[in-house]
Amino acid sequence: MRGEAANPQMTTLLQMRGIVRCFGAVRANDGIDLDVASGRIVGLLGENGSGKSTLMKLLFGMLAPDAGTITFKGRELSGHRPAEAMAAGLAMIHQHFMLIEAMTVAENVMLGWPQAGHWLQRKTIAAQVRDASARFGLDLDPQARVADLPLGRRQRIEILKAILRGADLLILDEPTSNLAPAEVAGLLAILRRLKAEGRGIVFITHKLPEVLDVCDEVVVLRAGKVAGRAATAGVSRATLAEMMVGRDTTAPHTPDARPPGAPRLVVRNLRGPGLDVSFDLHAGEILGVAGVDGNGQLELADTLAGLRRAEGSVRLDGAEIGRATVAARVRAGLAYLPADRARTSLVRSMTIAENLSLRDADGFLLHPAAQAADARDRMAAYDIRAPGPQTITARLSGGNQQKIVVARELGRAPSVVIAHQAAWGLDPGATRFVLDRVIALRNAGAAVLYISSELEEVLAIGDRIAVLSGGRFAGVVARAEADLGRIGLWMAGQAA
Amino acid sequence: MDFLAAAIRIATPLLLAALGGILSERAGVFAVGLEGMMLAGAFSAAIATWASENFGAGIAAAMAGGALVGVMVAVVTVRFRADNMVTGLAANILVAGLTSFLLRAAGQGGRPPAIHLVPLAPWPIPLLSDIPLLGKLLFVHPPLTYLAIVGCVALTLLLGRTQLGLTLRATGENPEAVFASGGNPKRVRVLAVIACGAVAGLGGAVLSLQQVGTFTDGMTGGRGYLALASLIVGRWTPSGAAAACLVFGAADAFGLRLQTFGLPTSSYVLQMAPYVIALIVLASLGRATRLPAAIGQPLD
Amino acid sequence: MSGLSDGAAARLTLSRDNLLPRIALAVALSLACAAALIALSGHNPLTAFAAMAAGALGSAHQLGVALNKTTPYLLAGSGVALCFRAGIINIGAEGQIAIGGLGAAATALLWPVEAALPAILLALAGGALAGAAWAALATAIHLFRQVHEVLVTLLLNFVAILLVQQALAGSLGEFGAGFLQSPLMPHPVWLPRAIPGLDAHPGFIVGAVLAAGLSWLLWRTRFGFSLRVAGASRPAAAYAGFSVGRITWGVMLLAGALAGLAGGIEVLGVQRRLIEGFSLGFGFKAVTVALLGALEPLAVIPAALFVGLLEAGSLSMQRQVGVPSSLVAVIEGLTMLFVLAATVRRRAG
Repeated sequence: MRGEAANPQMTTLLQMRGIVRCFGAVRANDGIDLDVASGRIVGLLGENGSGKSTLMKLLFGMLAPDAGTITFKGRELSGHRPAEAMAAGLAMIHQHFMLIEAMTVAENVMLGWPQAGHWLQRKTIAAQVRDASARFGLDLDPQARVADLPLGRRQRIEILKAILRGADLLILDEPTSNLAPAEVAGLLAILRRLKAEGRGIVFITHKLPEVLDVCDEVVVLRAGKVAGRAATAGVSRATLAEMMVGRDTTAPHTPDARPPGAPRLVVRNLRGPGLDVSFDLHAGEILGVAGVDGNGQLELADTLAGLRRAEGSVRLDGAEIGRATVAARVRAGLAYLPADRARTSLVRSMTIAENLSLRDADGFLLHPAAQAADARDRMAAYDIRAPGPQTITARLSGGNQQKIVVARELGRAPSVVIAHQAAWGLDPGATRFVLDRVIALRNAGAAVLYISSELEEVLAIGDRIAVLSGGRFAGVVARAEADLGRIGLWMAGQAA
Repeated sequence: MDFLAAAIRIATPLLLAALGGILSERAGVFAVGLEGMMLAGAFSAAIATWASENFGAGIAAAMAGGALVGVMVAVVTVRFRADNMVTGLAANILVAGLTSFLLRAAGQGGRPPAIHLVPLAPWPIPLLSDIPLLGKLLFVHPPLTYLAIVGCVALTLLLGRTQLGLTLRATGENPEAVFASGGNPKRVRVLAVIACGAVAGLGGAVLSLQQVGTFTDGMTGGRGYLALASLIVGRWTPSGAAAACLVFGAADAFGLRLQTFGLPTSSYVLQMAPYVIALIVLASLGRATRLPAAIGQPLD
Repeated sequence: MSGLSDGAAARLTLSRDNLLPRIALAVALSLACAAALIALSGHNPLTAFAAMAAGALGSAHQLGVALNKTTPYLLAGSGVALCFRAGIINIGAEGQIAIGGLGAAATALLWPVEAALPAILLALAGGALAGAAWAALATAIHLFRQVHEVLVTLLLNFVAILLVQQALAGSLGEFGAGFLQSPLMPHPVWLPRAIPGLDAHPGFIVGAVLAAGLSWLLWRTRFGFSLRVAGASRPAAAYAGFSVGRITWGVMLLAGALAGLAGGIEVLGVQRRLIEGFSLGFGFKAVTVALLGALEPLAVIPAALFVGLLEAGSLSMQRQVGVPSSLVAVIEGLTMLFVLAATVRRRAG
């Protein structure tokens, strides 16, 4: 059901003008304007890194903008913290719930709420919880412990808090990312009731069907800017998908089509929390895995590398490695470029030479001289810009740090490579470098699983394209047959 | 009955220290510094009472001394984000040396002054203390013991029934949620640690003012660590800690009794009992130990 | 413990920039505070410090005493430094030293050997083994029952000290002595003087050699590399294929053995008998020394010397100037706090 006709009595609740926020060289928000009226649900649509969360954190006072103004209910908000935002009538329902699991629903509601009294008015609050719960269909029991509630129910506690504190504008950050389909329907119903009461809602998401289902208008963000605005009544999914993904800059070098070789990695019924996949990876092929971050990519990568346990079978060149240790998988020829460079793939407080030998399993003694010489060779071969092998890794740029990981993992001529966000956050030159190395390995016969949240990148480099959604492959297709619209739909949660 | 009364007597300083420790740990800061806080309280109470001849001043001084140690620990752990445990250890070493030093500095020619205080006498509660059996046991205790019992009840109410207590508990579970709800987790932790110091200081005062009547170097003798063990065994609740302290006190009293009977059972094994019990409880709880979820984690 | 096992636990990591100046500043600050305290108590800080220095370094005998005092801090401190490097906060040195002394004394008394060198080696081995066993107990409880290592090592300290008292009250004690002590150790097992003229037993040299050995282990072997990675980031250690369980066993056993050895040397070289409470405070001072040495075993040598000299000189200072020797504990505690504030940065992972 498309959004309802605008309520003629609505007033402007929120006006954000010219919002700018930088993190170092990255312009997370680059001159954004946003309006929200009472009784309207405004969808904020965009991919990861488009600037949606930053914008809302600025609104709620968790961060301060570098430039721009925020006017809420006629008053300017600046230099505020969450406490002031809440007092003014703003409420934020976070993607990762800000709840105390060990406490009850009622206690979570009372936390930080002056109206609950210095001496907690437990009975009164419990009654209010039951009351609001009935009115909005929240189905919450004040005495229930949060830890015992399913995720969908927990989220409603945050909504309940917003309602009880009389919030006029609710910001929901990716509210359906942790919900099952039935729970999603329940949430959208609650939002409609809130809207009917005249509250304003900002609905941050990357999922198209929901936007069209419940929002009255949608603002699309891309790379920190507003890529488009539309009323949901008249717009098509394809249009929105294109606005989200866009036709971006120079596409990276695309590998020539080659017939894939024999399967090198055979995965059957790999099942764990947030993961359920079966697939084959062939020699001389890159399987690009697209999908919005948080849909099982980390689980897939970590499990294949041996960092997480799961049921099912993983065979590398015929040998079963599903129960093997990390070290054993390295020896079997499995390379892994993790997404978390800060804490997993590199020890930033250590030297380049030490990081290059991080996964070398053999030997009792270290050989610093040989290690240094080897490091120097590899630094030259992989163009790692640094004074020398004894340089502390933390001093290098992001691009050079990733080159160390690439040098280490790809340098040992692996049979299978798992790359997760391998070019994320790198400048074009470093990105080109990493992608070229991956392609070179593929040309030499390795099998590559290339996971990335950058759709353009995946489309360019993958021989086959798969989309991960909810821990499963929503669809797999050869690059030649890849269709942007269909892929967008798979990413948004609609299976092939 | 005498035995139980002795158990209560021994348990009192432990309980006060444990109550302080609960404040700190429920807010998310490990209370390894309890030993130092108690010792500082014992020292301050003795010196202040000796100098002013006023027990009230002594009790106030005990709280101040303990709170001062709390300030030190709070600054280093919350502001500088250093490890809770090692900071607590450092504070204990410092206080042990400082109290010994200051004691001698207060006296003549580098010797400790002769502090001989009359220990606080029991205050029988009128009417209630006349109840046969129970009266002697429960209602004839020195003032600080009553304070400990009242404190236990008060802390239970504070934690469970007030906004302040709710915020404190929430800080130990999920400081980010406290921030998102408009609170200030850093401030909560600092205040909790200082309060811990003040209450634990009172526990020290029990030793110097109520039990011994003077101050000697290191007179807490590990009771702070025992209080830490008791609050863990008591699952971070005041009533649980009280029960644990009573058990430890009973074990100690039992050992003393055995000695007077000249039995071969060594008191050393009995002295081990509290620590061993604590270890066993911790080991059996294992993964299920319900510590405050965010304890020991530094705040940004 | 929920905070430990999921990799989100903070580990003890040192902020690398300007480490030496920061530690020097911390020491200077604590000495300044000590000077203020001395002045407050009505004495001249300079005379007091001079008396301390003379007391520690004034004569060959004094220096020997200082070296003897340094030994347990050096041995136990380097072991603790290794543990902290791996992100394992082992504060059980106190108990491990005590049990080590017990082990050495028991071995010497129950299995006397005529020849000096074998007797000494046997007794010291007994001490080291006992210390390692005590550490193993803590490790087992920590790893198999997920109890925080700090709690388990701390609680076991008290049990250890009471165990030693129990042994002294029982089979190992000297009947009729005024307080708890064992009979005098048999002569072959007494540690000789390391250098004639210097009243020091070989413990300091042994400690220095072992510290150098630990440093070599830390920087020149794959095991040492693995424990440094584990201390920096647990996820990285898992990714690198290292087993945190194995690392924990390794460093704990080493640290326990070193602490046990320290206890044994103290019993055989200084007291020549096992005395109740001989090791009180040693373990916690070992932690001070480990922090002062920035968790680098070689640097623990000067750090331990600093504390050892302080303690050796403090008695002189008390005798000659009248400043209580407990000032040393004040300096140690303050130094630890300042070093913690200045250098330790907890980093998640």
